[in-house]
Amino acid sequence: MSLSTGIYNTLFKRNSVFVGTIFAGAFLFGVGFDTATTTFWERWNKGKLWKDIRHKYVTDAEE
Amino acid sequence: MATFATKRATTLAPTVRTLASGAPIAPRLNLAARGQASEHDHDHGHSESSRSDIRPRWAGGVTFSAAGLVSKTVTTVHSPAFQPRLIHTSVANKDAPQVPDYSKYRTDPGSNRALSYFMVGSLGVLSASAAKSSISEFLQTMAASADVLALAKVEVDLSTIPEGKNVIIKWRGKPVFIRHRTQSEVDEARAVDWKSLRDPQSDEDRVQKPEWLVMLGVCTHLGCVPIGEAGDFGGWFCPCHGSHYDISGRARKGPAPLNLEVPAYEFTDGDGKVIIG
Repeated sequence: MSLSTGIYNTLFKRNSVFVGTIFAGAFLFGVGFDTATTTFWERWNKGKLWKDIRHKYVTDAEE
Repeated sequence: MATFATKRATTLAPTVRTLASGAPIAPRLNLAARGQASEHDHDHGHSESSRSDIRPRWAGGVTFSAAGLVSKTVTTVHSPAFQPRLIHTSVANKDAPQVPDYSKYRTDPGSNRALSYFMVGSLGVLSASAAKSSISEFLQTMAASADVLALAKVEVDLSTIPEGKNVIIKWRGKPVFIRHRTQSEVDEARAVDWKSLRDPQSDEDRVQKPEWLVMLGVCTHLGCVPIGEAGDFGGWFCPCHGSHYDISGRARKGPAPLNLEVPAYEFTDGDGKVIIG
């Protein structure tokens, strides 16, 4: 009860704070979602990506 | 003709309501009142003939004595004309016996409030994130693709350019002059009082490294390509209309209004290469 009341008084009571919290949360959620999906995709395709097979085709002597 | 005597037209005041028959409504007129108790009645108001809306003599009143007028009031006696005036014609019945008490079934309005707002805010977060992602992805479709960006850059190996020589390369369809300046040319370019020039610009602002001068080889007058190592100032000379540029590419003489333009470039690989674009 006290926790929910504290959250309500902090974030939800004023609409400006509420909307600001939503926008900030959307930004953080977008960054986190991108990071999570990219990490999952790279783990799923591990061994097929260019950064994994680059050493087979490019040697530093050629540069 | 007796009906003419009974039917008489009268003008009623506008506040008087009338019945449907046309008779005026007089609700406070006590039609059942009897005559006022007179002095000649010896029953002092106890008889049936006394009016109910006038208090009897024994309850007080004004009497005329030898001392003068005396008013006597017996306060414990209600006036027969007493009528309680209530503001409300019906009293609010707060504890209606026929309605059950649901108070113990009702939830606390403060307990679910934070959760409700949290759900609303979560939907807002998801919606705002989706909207931002849609807009940014749509705007990225307007950006140049990777192959176009790759073509928009030119990489030049500077180690092949000897000191005191010009190189002209093509970049985005336009010539770019790269001059490996000698130290004396650098000193010459920096010795000029550049504030008095037509387009005041110091040599330090035009080069990233003093020995490498990179600039667009398009005359700022009408777009001809100037000739290197020519002109009165040891720099470039435009043969079309006779504009002279000095060793820093600044317009010194002729119709050219501005200095030769410096593109965006950067040195890489330990100064061994320059990437223009």
